[in-house]
Amino acid sequence: MNARSSSGLKAVAGVLLLMLLIPVLAACGGTPAASPTAVPATAVPATAEATTEATPEATTEATPEATAEPTPVAENQAVYTEGDLLAVAAKECGNGYTGQIKEIVAVDASTVKFVLCAPDPAFRAKAAFTPFSILPSEYLESTGGTGDLIEKPIGTGPYMIDSWVRGDSITLKRFDGYWGEPANTETVVIRWSSEAAQRLLELQSGTVDGIDNPAPDAFEVIANDSTLQLKERPGLNVFYVGMNNAYPPFDNEKVRQALAIGIDRQRIVENFYPAGSEVATHFTPCAIPNGCAGDAWPEYDLEAAKALLAEAGFPDGFETTLQYRDVVRGYLPEPGRVAEDIQAQLAELGIKVTIQVEESGTYLDKADAGELKGLYLLGWGADFPDITNFLDYHFGAGASKQFGAKFDDLTAALQQGASKPTDVEREPFYVEANNLLIQHVPMVPIAHGASGTAYKGDVAGAHSSPLTSEYFAVMAPGDRDTFVWLQNGEPAGLYCADETDGEALRTCEQITEALLSYEIGGTAVKPGLAESCDPNTDLTEWTCKLRTGVKFHDGSDFDANDVVMSFAVQWDAANPLHVGRDGSFTYFSSLWGGFLNAPAE
Amino acid sequence: MTTSAPSIPAISKFPEAEGPWRRAWRQFLRQRSAIIGLIMIGFLSLTAIFAPLIAPYDPVGVLLGKEEGIKKRSGPCIHMLGCPTDQPQHLMGVDGNFRDLFSRIIYGARLSLLIGFVTVSISLSIGTLLGALAGFLGGWFDNVVMRILDVVLAFPFLLLAIAIVSVLGPGLMNAMLGIAIVSVPAYARVIRASVLSAREEDYVLAARTIGVAPLKILFGHIMPNAISPLIVQATLGIGTAILEVAALSFMGLGAQPPTPEWGSMLSAERNQVFTAPHLVFFPGLAIMLTVLGFNLIGDGLRDALDPRLKRS
Repeated sequence: MNARSSSGLKAVAGVLLLMLLIPVLAACGGTPAASPTAVPATAVPATAEATTEATPEATTEATPEATAEPTPVAENQAVYTEGDLLAVAAKECGNGYTGQIKEIVAVDASTVKFVLCAPDPAFRAKAAFTPFSILPSEYLESTGGTGDLIEKPIGTGPYMIDSWVRGDSITLKRFDGYWGEPANTETVVIRWSSEAAQRLLELQSGTVDGIDNPAPDAFEVIANDSTLQLKERPGLNVFYVGMNNAYPPFDNEKVRQALAIGIDRQRIVENFYPAGSEVATHFTPCAIPNGCAGDAWPEYDLEAAKALLAEAGFPDGFETTLQYRDVVRGYLPEPGRVAEDIQAQLAELGIKVTIQVEESGTYLDKADAGELKGLYLLGWGADFPDITNFLDYHFGAGASKQFGAKFDDLTAALQQGASKPTDVEREPFYVEANNLLIQHVPMVPIAHGASGTAYKGDVAGAHSSPLTSEYFAVMAPGDRDTFVWLQNGEPAGLYCADETDGEALRTCEQITEALLSYEIGGTAVKPGLAESCDPNTDLTEWTCKLRTGVKFHDGSDFDANDVVMSFAVQWDAANPLHVGRDGSFTYFSSLWGGFLNAPAE
Repeated sequence: MTTSAPSIPAISKFPEAEGPWRRAWRQFLRQRSAIIGLIMIGFLSLTAIFAPLIAPYDPVGVLLGKEEGIKKRSGPCIHMLGCPTDQPQHLMGVDGNFRDLFSRIIYGARLSLLIGFVTVSISLSIGTLLGALAGFLGGWFDNVVMRILDVVLAFPFLLLAIAIVSVLGPGLMNAMLGIAIVSVPAYARVIRASVLSAREEDYVLAARTIGVAPLKILFGHIMPNAISPLIVQATLGIGTAILEVAALSFMGLGAQPPTPEWGSMLSAERNQVFTAPHLVFFPGLAIMLTVLGFNLIGDGLRDALDPRLKRS
């Protein structure tokens, strides 16, 4: 009886306390933060400024009456509507806007038009790239451009995400409503380990069906094992020794030229790369059109290098650092061994090198910010098979500060090359650009590294992709209903518009699809969610005819508005859905020239 | 009249009393495991001292281009065991950068001993000073010092060392400093406990009574009697320090390439454990034997210096 009355008193006191606290909290301004979806929808605003502020719901759920008048393109536009169709546009090209895209318009439910500021022969190759995959516009809005979008992306791909246990594995389930050939295996489990030895051991012991990047020394072991199959991956990449011309002694072109011929690149490729790798005669691999236009990189010549160093004022060499990240990539299978070999080689030039190992993320950030003061090891794998993906990304006008100040003659050649419609017309500019790389030596290209994947012997459809985008839907692991894949690392996020790591992109490729696609195990561009993307005569307008009857994993229909919205949230920095995991959307800005409404630096 | 002084009968001489250190040494030599430890560390010390005479190659010298037909990560080639004499002899094989592994292991012994002694010397000096003063002075000084050391002890050993090295920057010196700092509390606590019990002894009271200066009491009277647990702790600590620095080097925070440090050698070739197992086996074995040697000596010393385990 006592206990009951005591607990009753406590309850009454609790309620009273709450009643007292609520007004106090309210007075302190403690109203809950409004979520994007909680903002009441407004009619389509008459002015562009207002449109920028409008929530996605406001623009997409606007009443037909309100959207009857198309919004004039007065300023850089956030998503605006034309009837029920979405569009997004830049006010003008140039004049502070660096981007290549002028406008993206949903012409009808199954047609999207891209208007560009300049001709872009690489449009198709870029449109097939995973970060530009199409997601349902409703899902983009409901997630606010982040949160669930990063953990559970919804796409149109042959697999949909079932679960992601952080630090352990990602499980994908077959999407039965897939528009194309259904996936061969019901379940795909993606796991990761940074240790090549562990990956190989798991494959040998049968706990996984396929692994990425076996160590070069393990190639022979796998090839000689009848229960395994090795799929070599051609080196559509480049490994280079970088240097920043903002820091001495690399501000001296003669020093850079000495390094260009002072590193025995053949020795590195022969001893630290698997078979199939090549010494880089050019920065871009020859398999890419115009990649090997112009002169080949000069041969190793230790004496000439010493003479150049002496001429530059360093007859006894100098001291510097050599930084690298201890992460295995196809372009650099043995980073530590290669770093030590370069250290030993440079000692013969009198250059005393201190090796510094950096954490991967920090290292890349420092490189982009131009903060690596000594020599550094880095590389690049092709995202799409076009020379702009190699040269413009590194040495173009919009490139990062990783090599220091830009070379005007080089950027001019690249700019002209990128704007010509055919490979033949582009060639003279890439001859010039490649020769200028030899003259200025912003870096020393070393190798195009072959790498590989390995599978259990009974996995049908096993392949390697030169773009590192292995496609699991065509694989079948014997009579097992689960295909287990072991890769190098865990994806940071699965909203791949805001990811650059290949480990994330490969996973996204199973789940989401872009307008176009690359052939399985190759680089040729094929139809994807669009049956075709055709240009006008001067390559400034690309009209994509979308596939009909395609459904997203959530059952919603795919249409032109999804395409516009998927691009718009990346392109428009002022879009409320331009959030992502860290909001950098690096691929969009580097491959399409820049953001709309980009914040001032 | 003279009286002759009474002749003093010759006193039969007592056997000379055995000193505590001598007794401890005798006890120590009675333990087979301690002897084995001593032999191991003696052998290691000789290896370290005569490394330039023993090592057939430069430990950081790349043999690529200098030796005909050298193969990366090739296994041991010992002529006495049947390796063709036309091939150059590499007792422990060749590493991933075409260097002779045996020479690197030999020079690694130098580094490991240096690491062990330097690290323990730093932590021992600081720890002893702090612990002895805390125990002897007591009061607020004792409280402040010991609470600070308790805070250091509250962190996981290796994690704190990693944090220190991350702040100071990777490198062998910083790794040794990091390990030394995190080892200080162990020494301080041991010596403080010894000093606390010793300062209540009659001989300390006697010294005080006749006006011996406090510092002289501490270092002249108390410390010699409180030092034996510290010797044991320090000996075991050398092994631990070698292991911890190897761990830091394995993580890339200790010795930087091309320094022939066992932990970093292990790390560099860890992914070759199936394809070239000798490259992880030999550095691992070297670390294990060295640490084992110091631990055996430490255990032997503990038994020898502990009066409760005194044997006739």
